[in-house]
Amino acid sequence: MSLATDGFAVDSLSLGPIDSGTSILLTGEDADTLQTVFSQLVAADDDERSIVLSTGSGGRAVQRDLNNARTGAGNRASVLTCEGPASGEDVQSVDDISDLTRLGMDFSTLVASAQQHSDRFRSGIMLCSTIAGEVDDTRSLYRFLNSNFLTELRRGDGIGVCALDTSADIGADMSSTISGLQTSFSAHIEVEKTGPGQATLTVDGLDGDETVDVDL
Amino acid sequence: MSKATTEEATDLSRTVLCVDDEQRIDDVSTAIDGEGTLAAVEATTVEDATELLQAESVVCVVTSYDLPDGTGMDVIEAVREHAPQVPSVLFTDRPPQEIDTASFEETIVEYLNRDLPDAHDRLGFVTNDVIEHSAQVGFLRPDDEEERLATLAEYDIDELPIDESFERLTDLIASHFDAGVAFIGLIEKDEENFLACHGADLDSLTREDTICTHSMLQEDVMVIEDIADDNRFNKNEQLENLGIVSYAGANMTAPNGQVIGQVCLIDFEKRSYDAVERAELQDFAETAMEILDLRKSLRDARGEEVAR
Repeated sequence: MSLATDGFAVDSLSLGPIDSGTSILLTGEDADTLQTVFSQLVAADDDERSIVLSTGSGGRAVQRDLNNARTGAGNRASVLTCEGPASGEDVQSVDDISDLTRLGMDFSTLVASAQQHSDRFRSGIMLCSTIAGEVDDTRSLYRFLNSNFLTELRRGDGIGVCALDTSADIGADMSSTISGLQTSFSAHIEVEKTGPGQATLTVDGLDGDETVDVDL
Repeated sequence: MSKATTEEATDLSRTVLCVDDEQRIDDVSTAIDGEGTLAAVEATTVEDATELLQAESVVCVVTSYDLPDGTGMDVIEAVREHAPQVPSVLFTDRPPQEIDTASFEETIVEYLNRDLPDAHDRLGFVTNDVIEHSAQVGFLRPDDEEERLATLAEYDIDELPIDESFERLTDLIASHFDAGVAFIGLIEKDEENFLACHGADLDSLTREDTICTHSMLQEDVMVIEDIADDNRFNKNEQLENLGIVSYAGANMTAPNGQVIGQVCLIDFEKRSYDAVERAELQDFAETAMEILDLRKSLRDARGEEVAR
């Protein structure tokens, strides 16, 4: 059922179109800068849908961030949030972030619903490091990523972004964990804040490796 | 009630356990049998499903949520207990919020909504997909895992008389580092096979229970000074049962760059390794790889001679 289609545009980050099926590991130690880059990557174009699992922002805040990244993208987003209430059809809430069984079912349902509107989707987890810090056994997180996040990318026409705050305490060696995650994802973008509204992206695995300075 | 629905059910490599009530079980097993490569066996209660899991080798479980003597989550819990590597699909018309996950918070399952218009068509596709891609494993795989496994397959250990050499090598490694255990393991698709081990009786371990499956993803030597401080390993009963406290692992990298195995040290106390020790462990891993490569070259040359 996986289809090869046109890439997913991310002009605002000076990156070329991203191929369908691409999984991106997004890392950085400045949470605000990470959030901004995440939103630019995940904000849906007119013929797409966004599916966002948010651990730190409410549904409306996520939709506002997506709107700031791309006009109208917030209206094309379904959000599963661990902060704040559910709202309408597009914002659902999660009671317990460590209940990965439920989280996985909710995420799959959102992706399936989004695909009723459009085949093309951008999915994202912001922040995966928060989940890693909450679960008892990291193997459960890897099962969740394999069974839900990476599987949906293999089966459908979409891209996925998994953000990791490298300053967070995940109960394991961060550098070693990133090394492992890097090999399972098809691309890695490292975000470094260089000034107010400015960042350097170190990109690996997206049509050539490069370093890009961006205004956010 | 349980029965094999087709003659193909005797092909255990592709048998799928389908669990639903008496009224709906035929719909599910028909969808599975319709895939051609899959064969359904049926159970209509949690109890029957649990018995079947212990009696038969299945490659996937598809279960409804509402069952006469429990729920589909009870079936999935039985899968985790009796066949932890087997993926599960929860095929239900219940929305996620009506499913009681309180006792199963870290049990990952493929959720497929039965109310979707093409649900039965998707069931066969999804079941095949989770089997083909081992989609619910609890470890990270390299993006080029298939290439890695193909490289590993070229080193057919059964044909290469390697045991004595590697046993001597692990004896030397343990002595050099004064470590409790030293071993050489190859990392297969689902498990790690230990070719030689000094200080413990290791044969094989499920891959998600090993530290090596993490270590192989790092270019440099991976050291865990105390696994109690690392969430990746401190809930791992296998490691706890083995009494492992510290770990150091170095990659065995084939000439094409693929990592096929590990040379490792484990100890029963907290331990660190300095830069020199890490470099030495890497040297031992490269020596092990060279031994494997030399044996492989010899075997290949003999094969060519016979062919002439």
